[in-house]
Amino acid sequence: MSLAVALSKGKLFRGAGDRFRAAGLPFPDAEGRKLVVEQGELRFLFVKDVDVPTYVEHGIADCGIVGSDVLREADADVYEPLDLGFGRCRLAVARPQGAPAEPRHATLRVATKYPRLAAAHFLGQGRPAEFVKLSGSVELACVLGLADCIVDVVETGATLRENGLRVVETVLECSARLVVNRASYHARRDAVGPLLRALQAACAQEVGA
Amino acid sequence: MTRGTTQVPPGVQCFVGDEARRRRAIEERVVAVFEGWDYEEIIPPLYDYADAFGGALSPRTYSFVGRDGALLALRPDFTSLLAKIAAGRLAHREPPIRLYYSGEVLRFEPPRAGRQNELHQMGLERLGGDARTADAEVVAIAAECLDAAGARDCVLALGHVGVFTGLTAGCGLAGVDVERLREALGRKDQGGVGELLREAGLSGEPAAGVRRLASLAGDARVLDEAERALAFCPSALQALAELKAVAAALQAAGLGARLSFDLAEVRGLDYYTGLVFRAYAPDLGFEVGGGGRYDRLLARFGRPMPAVGFMLGLDRLAALLERQENGEAPARPAAAEVKAEALGAALCEARSRRGRGERVRFEGGAS
Repeated sequence: MSLAVALSKGKLFRGAGDRFRAAGLPFPDAEGRKLVVEQGELRFLFVKDVDVPTYVEHGIADCGIVGSDVLREADADVYEPLDLGFGRCRLAVARPQGAPAEPRHATLRVATKYPRLAAAHFLGQGRPAEFVKLSGSVELACVLGLADCIVDVVETGATLRENGLRVVETVLECSARLVVNRASYHARRDAVGPLLRALQAACAQEVGA
Repeated sequence: MTRGTTQVPPGVQCFVGDEARRRRAIEERVVAVFEGWDYEEIIPPLYDYADAFGGALSPRTYSFVGRDGALLALRPDFTSLLAKIAAGRLAHREPPIRLYYSGEVLRFEPPRAGRQNELHQMGLERLGGDARTADAEVVAIAAECLDAAGARDCVLALGHVGVFTGLTAGCGLAGVDVERLREALGRKDQGGVGELLREAGLSGEPAAGVRRLASLAGDARVLDEAERALAFCPSALQALAELKAVAAALQAAGLGARLSFDLAEVRGLDYYTGLVFRAYAPDLGFEVGGGGRYDRLLARFGRPMPAVGFMLGLDRLAALLERQENGEAPARPAAAEVKAEALGAALCEARSRRGRGERVRFEGGAS
């Protein structure tokens, strides 16, 4: 029986393809609009990145590729046996350049696509904060005065600089992960095991190179 | 937002007709297995003092204040109630005490795959007696229950929490570090485990051993591999020896092909003390059930005694059978329609047919 792999056509797609090919595994190209693509023994399901943990947790996909930022925010009950080593970035707190060290009001207002991780970060440190959930262009929240700071993924920092923001704290170092459904890991060991080992070897080779 | 009069709260379940009959049939098959191994049914109370349900479940219980001011809670599981009853009402009973249950529990669950707030658990507990005998017996019963229910291709993943606790005990780790390690290990996040070990300043053999646990899963060869990798840690070896003894008995009983081993199965560490196992099937994304050894629980109720048990979720088993297209509801028998000119005559006929054991659909007197 073929294994179903959930992934998004977003920023991790190219890196995932490199790893799969290095591991000698089939991988679809980004062309076409089909959402389910069969390649050899694998069935690729193209879903939105935030939905990858959900498909894997429910067992609709046996495994998936997702950034650890999205995975931690989803808090899904899945295995994550392999750090694929690409898509490195960090989840960070950013504030307007030149903003006073302390906000004007006691309760910080934080805009983010990651309300769970943002809450864990601020409340975990005993800092009262209020969280505004946004779906995109989070930097704008600071520029327009919706929030005092943002929690978002930072790769090069160029977008932040262009919008007059700077990183003040790191919340989480992130990278792409292979996630595996708990039942598939045990009950489809004969198919999941070889996939995992092939990707592990490909990742070890990459680190060695 | 206004709420309509027919709206139901999230997390509740309701079964009608075929669905209910299908569930009842599964329940009967599983309960017959419990009876077949000479376990006795127990019907514990629906609620008890909230402190009976301590531990990991306590933040998830529905608790309320009784008329006398005592804090009460709806049962979030059966095991703690059974332990309490074994220490109280059944205090005179000699171990081993074999008890089974089948009924609903209530717990608050955040929305997640395969979780409801109201769920039906079927399980058993074997309290006291020889530990290895009991461990082997309950895993074998679990396997038989899955077969009897008609589930196919189920795998029982066995682990032993003593491997992890043995490796981390005496390393000088703070409780919060152990808890974070346990979480990362439970996700098989080997990188995360490595990072936590570095942060905690743990290195050398124990650190390498804990890191290794994340990938020690698979067939029985995993146990030999673990023995070699953890040879430096006597308590981890002891745990492995216990697991091997149980595995050997199950293999001898023809269950070898159904077993899988997972030394990173470390959920419920505050509760389990030895063998742990989960039942998985390829057609359901989450476990059908599971259990393990909990030697510390009964001491909480003043009757220290080793114990082991497991439970299967009826909701999950029903979902699995449906996906395997193997959970047909028993057909609803046809009923004889009873109707007459006069209501009294109709009722008379219906009662006499019922007296002969017939199924009747009473339509009453013609108008």
